[in-house]
Amino acid sequence: MPLNIDWQQILLHWLNLAILTGGLYFLLYKPVKQFMAKREEYYRSLEQQAQEKLAQAQQLQDQAQAKLDGADEEIRQARAKAQQSVQQSAEEQLARVQVQAQQILTHARAEAEHDREEILRSSQRELRRLATEATKRLALQQDPFEQFLDLAEEGAGHDEKR
Amino acid sequence: MKQHKKGLTLWLAAILLLLAGALLTGSPGRTETVQEAMRDAVLHDVNRISLLGWKAVNPGLISAFLVTAILLLASALIRIFVIPRFRYMPGKLQLLLEEAVGLFDRMAKGSSPHRFGFVGTYIFGAGCFIFVGTLFELLGLQAITTHGHAVTLPAPLSDINAAIALGTLSYLVIVSGGIAGNGVKGIGKSLKEFSLPISMSFRLFGALLSGLLVTELVYYYVSLSFVLPVVVGVLFTLLHALIQTYVLTMLTALYYGEVSEPDHKPKKAKARRS
Repeated sequence: MPLNIDWQQILLHWLNLAILTGGLYFLLYKPVKQFMAKREEYYRSLEQQAQEKLAQAQQLQDQAQAKLDGADEEIRQARAKAQQSVQQSAEEQLARVQVQAQQILTHARAEAEHDREEILRSSQRELRRLATEATKRLALQQDPFEQFLDLAEEGAGHDEKR
Repeated sequence: MKQHKKGLTLWLAAILLLLAGALLTGSPGRTETVQEAMRDAVLHDVNRISLLGWKAVNPGLISAFLVTAILLLASALIRIFVIPRFRYMPGKLQLLLEEAVGLFDRMAKGSSPHRFGFVGTYIFGAGCFIFVGTLFELLGLQAITTHGHAVTLPAPLSDINAAIALGTLSYLVIVSGGIAGNGVKGIGKSLKEFSLPISMSFRLFGALLSGLLVTELVYYYVSLSFVLPVVVGVLFTLLHALIQTYVLTMLTALYYGEVSEPDHKPKKAKARRS
């Protein structure tokens, strides 16, 4: 053969290469690759765990934010409710006070009316009494002319004394 | 300071002694001319080595077996003593191993995303073989030929048979990818690239042989054997070990990905009709 090519030696080289490739695969390539894959898997799982934890933290944060937002809304509603309640209470109190004032006023008016009527009645009674008394006096007393004279005498005596 | 000076003086004296010894003792005499050495480096028809008494083979085959033995032994030791101690925060050796495996794995996934398990395994094996095999010549291991001379074991792929074996095996792997991915059509796709086994084989052979020839030439003359081998031997060898490893594995992965990619054209045609 040209260049001293020997097919038997080529086959021996093939055999040698086959042994070498197989041996290197089982002794070096496969175990190192397996280890690298294992490490990759380990770091991937770590990353996945970190991602999950991050997602959980995000979820918790969202929940907390939602609660915070809910609490704000609750506070706003409670404040509005309290304001409404205070306003209602104030209105009720005002209404009650107004009713009381009206009652007091009515009562005062009634009393005043009653007093006025009482005073009127007593003055009428007084007037009647005075009239009666005056009538009685007039009917029972002396002659008006004599009375006049008596009075006049009384009046002259009074001037003399002065 | 005195200790430093003393050490420096001793180091220089040792170098001078070794140089003088090398020059004075001389070589045992040339057994072949430079032409013969070059011819044998290409053809391997003179200096052959007995394979366990069964057959005289090229020194490249012995080198290939030794490289495989070294790699498998190192892998077994790593598997037993190093891999069980792997940690999630890697040390230097672990990082080196992971990078070596990851490099070929990524290359396989990147070039052949549809089917990368087998080609990843193959290019890892082939890559290790080419890289370590090319650096193997730096060890300068000696073997005795059938004629009783000592020869330095060359890089396995500087032997044409090893280069053909690796080139054709890579092509067969590519064809297998075509069959696995596209069935009979895959064979057609793979056969279109019929020049691949030749180009892959001779690219490897040419690259490695050129390195071998330059090294042979440099070491043939004693006067060239100082300082120069540091550049020629180590740097060039290291450089083309990396380049050849990258080229063959990348080409194999690319062609494998190309022929194993599922054909979508009929589906598109059907979709258009409908």
